[in-house]
Amino acid sequence: MLPAANNRLVKNTSYKVVLPFYIYAALAFLLGCILLFTASGAFTQHYFHPKILAITHTMALGWGTMMILGAGHQLLPVLIEEQLFSNVLAYLSFVFAAAGIPLLIYAFYTFNMHWPAEVGGTLVNAGVLCYLVNLAIGMSKSKQENVHAVFVFTATLWLLLTTAVGLFLVCNFTRSILPMSSVQYLSLHAHLGIVGWFLLMVIGVGSRLIPMFLISKFTNTKRLWSIYWLINIGLVSFIIIYIYLHTIRLYLLPVIAIIAALILFAHYCKNAYKQRIRRNVDEQMKVSLLSVWMMAMPLAILLITIVLLINNKENTQLVLLYGFSIFFGWITAIIFGMTFKTLPFIVWNKVYYDKAGLGKTPNPKDLYSNRLFSAMAIAYLGGFILFSAGIVFSSGVILKSASAFLLLAAVLYNWNVFKLVLHKPNMA
Amino acid sequence: MNVITNNNLKCTISLAVLQDVVDPEIGLNVVDLGLIYQVDFDEAEKIIFVSMTLTTQFCPMGESIVNAVEQALLKAFADYNVIVNLTFNPQWTSERISEEGQEFLNR
Repeated sequence: MLPAANNRLVKNTSYKVVLPFYIYAALAFLLGCILLFTASGAFTQHYFHPKILAITHTMALGWGTMMILGAGHQLLPVLIEEQLFSNVLAYLSFVFAAAGIPLLIYAFYTFNMHWPAEVGGTLVNAGVLCYLVNLAIGMSKSKQENVHAVFVFTATLWLLLTTAVGLFLVCNFTRSILPMSSVQYLSLHAHLGIVGWFLLMVIGVGSRLIPMFLISKFTNTKRLWSIYWLINIGLVSFIIIYIYLHTIRLYLLPVIAIIAALILFAHYCKNAYKQRIRRNVDEQMKVSLLSVWMMAMPLAILLITIVLLINNKENTQLVLLYGFSIFFGWITAIIFGMTFKTLPFIVWNKVYYDKAGLGKTPNPKDLYSNRLFSAMAIAYLGGFILFSAGIVFSSGVILKSASAFLLLAAVLYNWNVFKLVLHKPNMA
Repeated sequence: MNVITNNNLKCTISLAVLQDVVDPEIGLNVVDLGLIYQVDFDEAEKIIFVSMTLTTQFCPMGESIVNAVEQALLKAFADYNVIVNLTFNPQWTSERISEEGQEFLNR
């Protein structure tokens, strides 16, 4: 007699939905690094600079968001314990965002805030809305309350708010629809995205995937809920202080809430790591775990910036370093690690699904080059540290040479991604 | 190996065959991982019933692992049909990993 069956295996999302996001994100990262190389001199000036805005949106939307949306569609069944509701909505999400992002980048680069920025912003909002609807309907079918799903859903709500505010800011350049100039709202727009979208999403997904990839039985839902509330309360209080109170000292409150959340998450990851069954941790997992610690750098810079502001001193270099450490540091490191933890499985499933069991198939990790990955990691780390130094010392020479290293890292990353995506069956 | 069966000899052959079915993420075969709970043979109907699990119900490689188990047994026992019953009751725990598997994971 066989044991009672509970054989419901959550169905994977089709690779056809997911791969376009990964490829787009890889190319956007390359574009971001090309723009960084050609416009590295802009990082010796004020952060409100057309080329810096173009680079920031290439990295935040084209690289970070497209990659997370792609991985999000792939991992949705793992996170919400229910399969993706609609492939059509997923394709629409890609098409809208993919069409809108280049328009926005062009608009910022040339500082043309008329139709390219407005159409681009509208399309990006439409793409995000498609993802949100897909997620909401998928979640509504799931029978269990799931903290990871709540993280992902809330993060997507914050993303929609971020892109909606972004669209308002773009329109405000030409039509004055907001009480203050768009520049005054930049920090609000940026932190809705950084904390609400990226941080919540990374913690929601990471708290599920890190124990899964380490084969760790550690779980602590209560702690995850504490992290969830700390981040959301921190962000809401930031918005209230930003819009209504305008007292710089008060900004320390949301920062403390976020720091507390990050300490709890770091502790969560540490416990998952300690209780892992798999002792040998691969390079990609190490990079992902390292990125958890890389959150400390922007937080430290933010604290220094606030303390300086309390003392009526604004340091442009610190603000630039803060943004750079988020998009080229923390988010890029996470994506590097997670690309080579998730993409090989997507490609493996695509190429070998119907061949499994019929002969010896390569492992997913054999589908890309570890040597290329290591070379990329070295070029990236060197470029990141050097560029940070270039910002601090406002040195054009250091910035240019550092951006060459980052460009090399982007080329190597793309090389490995395309090696993976174009993999042909190879069975012993 | 903690696998229930009604035919020790054929079960041993099956498990030897399934040693080639590897969890692609972990790199360890499904037998040493302890994913196989039961292998029964219905000689009259020529059906192999396999009851197995996965390390997690949300394993992104789950479908292909189950498919690989089915294909490997069909290849080894050409006269039989194979029915794989995926179960998460009881849930997989690390205690099910064989000594060889533990050694592999500790490497």
